[in-house]
Amino acid sequence: MKLIWKLLRQHISVLQLVGFFFANLLGMLIVLLSIQFYNDVKPAFSQEDGFMKNDYLVVSKSITTIGGLTGSNTEFSEEEIKDIEAQGFVKKLGAFTPSQYTVVGAFGIQGVASISTEMFFESVPDEFVDVDKSVWGFEEGDRSVPIVLPRSYLALYNFGFASTKSLPKISEDLASSIDITIVMRGAGLEERIRGKVVGFSNRLNTILAPEAFIQWSNARFAPSGSKSPTRLILQVYNPADAHIVEYFQDKGYEIADDKLDAGKTTFFLRLISFIVMAIGLLISALSFYILMLSIYLLVQKNTHKLQNLLLIGYSPSKVSLPYQLLTIGMNAMVLVLALVLLFFMRGYYMDMLLSVFPEMDGGSVLPALLIGLLLFAVVSIFNVMAVRNKVMAIWRNKQ
Amino acid sequence: MEKIILSNTLPVVFQHRSDIQSDVWKQQVCFEKGHLYLVQANSGTGKSSMCSYIIGYRQDYTGDILFDERNARTLKTSDWVALRQRSLSHMFQELRLFPELTALENVQIKNQLTGFKSQEQILRWFEALGIADKVDAKIGRMSFGQQQRVAMIRALVQPFDFILVDEPISHLDETNSRIMGEIMMEEAKSQGAGVIVTSIGKHIDLPYEKVLKL
Repeated sequence: MKLIWKLLRQHISVLQLVGFFFANLLGMLIVLLSIQFYNDVKPAFSQEDGFMKNDYLVVSKSITTIGGLTGSNTEFSEEEIKDIEAQGFVKKLGAFTPSQYTVVGAFGIQGVASISTEMFFESVPDEFVDVDKSVWGFEEGDRSVPIVLPRSYLALYNFGFASTKSLPKISEDLASSIDITIVMRGAGLEERIRGKVVGFSNRLNTILAPEAFIQWSNARFAPSGSKSPTRLILQVYNPADAHIVEYFQDKGYEIADDKLDAGKTTFFLRLISFIVMAIGLLISALSFYILMLSIYLLVQKNTHKLQNLLLIGYSPSKVSLPYQLLTIGMNAMVLVLALVLLFFMRGYYMDMLLSVFPEMDGGSVLPALLIGLLLFAVVSIFNVMAVRNKVMAIWRNKQ
Repeated sequence: MEKIILSNTLPVVFQHRSDIQSDVWKQQVCFEKGHLYLVQANSGTGKSSMCSYIIGYRQDYTGDILFDERNARTLKTSDWVALRQRSLSHMFQELRLFPELTALENVQIKNQLTGFKSQEQILRWFEALGIADKVDAKIGRMSFGQQQRVAMIRALVQPFDFILVDEPISHLDETNSRIMGEIMMEEAKSQGAGVIVTSIGKHIDLPYEKVLKL
């Protein structure tokens, strides 16, 4: 093997191989980086509300300047609700029920009160809330009530408040450490209860509490009030149905569509990732081409030696092996180096991402690793076959 | 392998020639193991072609070449490799040595494949052929006569049923020709092999059992 290599390494162009090496490294790195970045960033855009299914829509009436001044009604009347319910695309309909008494909430971290504010609750029928029933519920006499906060509140706290008051930032996992003392006043009564955050929502801009709690507290603190709902929650058969948008536009209702925005962003993220990945693949393909040309040239220049080796009894596989090992070795080096660089670069951008989205945990590195191995395998197999074919052409005396 | 048979064999380039008078072309020739043959040829009568056909390097002939009962045309790549490693040794007229390697390395590259001879035996042959001082010299720096002796040693470091030597002594003096003939015959006898020598004039002085005119 040593002597064979001594013979066959003649005419190896180091410059060509270095050129291939860096081109392939660049291509591989771009491919892997685009996959890894996509995987890492995707969760930030597609955080789903664990407790709300995707085919739910929230509908409200638009508030216009004139309407606001003239006090025009934003409540849904019985007829309007019936009309919506009669539409073919509606599977289930529920109303938001607001609390109708005074609520003051004091938020604190680990026993230290930090914000105190007047607030409100709303509830939707429990069948729309996809939270474990043992967590999501209320019975008279309970000392605490589960609530769901809008995710933007968390950002507001972390970036607007905690950083200026040197309070600890909190992640979603630590949400249960938020102490909320709720004071309810109305009908001459005052009562305190602990609020327990069980989740955050992107889609509901309200503080959500269990239906049983709102009914109980409304009856207790605002026995006379009975308001029509201002917002409705719908479960639809197909959220992409064009009739939905048409119908609500006709009626002048609004659909909360932040879900759609996140969808768009994810779409563009995916598109850009694919474009970048395609560029990476193109560079990889070109570098593969360089390597093949270089090896072909090498085989061509060493044709005579290869032929003589074959004629004195060396098998085509034995003669091909040095060049095959050379290409596999180079490909393996490229893969390892690309992965090392990838982890460095990932560490760098993950630091940046984590300072913006503290609750984000990166995606898996497995897809990038697998694609890297796949690329390595495919390129190596092609190299091995190409060298073998070249040597067989010499064997058949076709050179 | 007991026999090499050339049956009605003719190079494609000779196909339209009607004046062929040969003991080999278009004839039934049988080379048998354990015997010594001389194929004498004039230039341009297809001596190197015949060697190329037998070693499987070229197939541009009509008729058949048989190794025992097997037609050479039906041999697969692995069959040829096995044949060249274990049954058929060939000393090429153009030698086909590697100029980048030393004389010894040129022999070793074959011996590593077959593992047939010891280093001592190889060095003894270098000694006998008067090129012991060239063992570590690059082939490219050696005369053709010296290279011919290295090529002969390389042809002997494998097991064979037949050895086909193509003009082995064209650049050797009589003494070295004789020594080369002795070494070759000694090895062939010990292996019980057949020997086919070609020449276009000067040939090793050996007790040929059959002389064929190409």
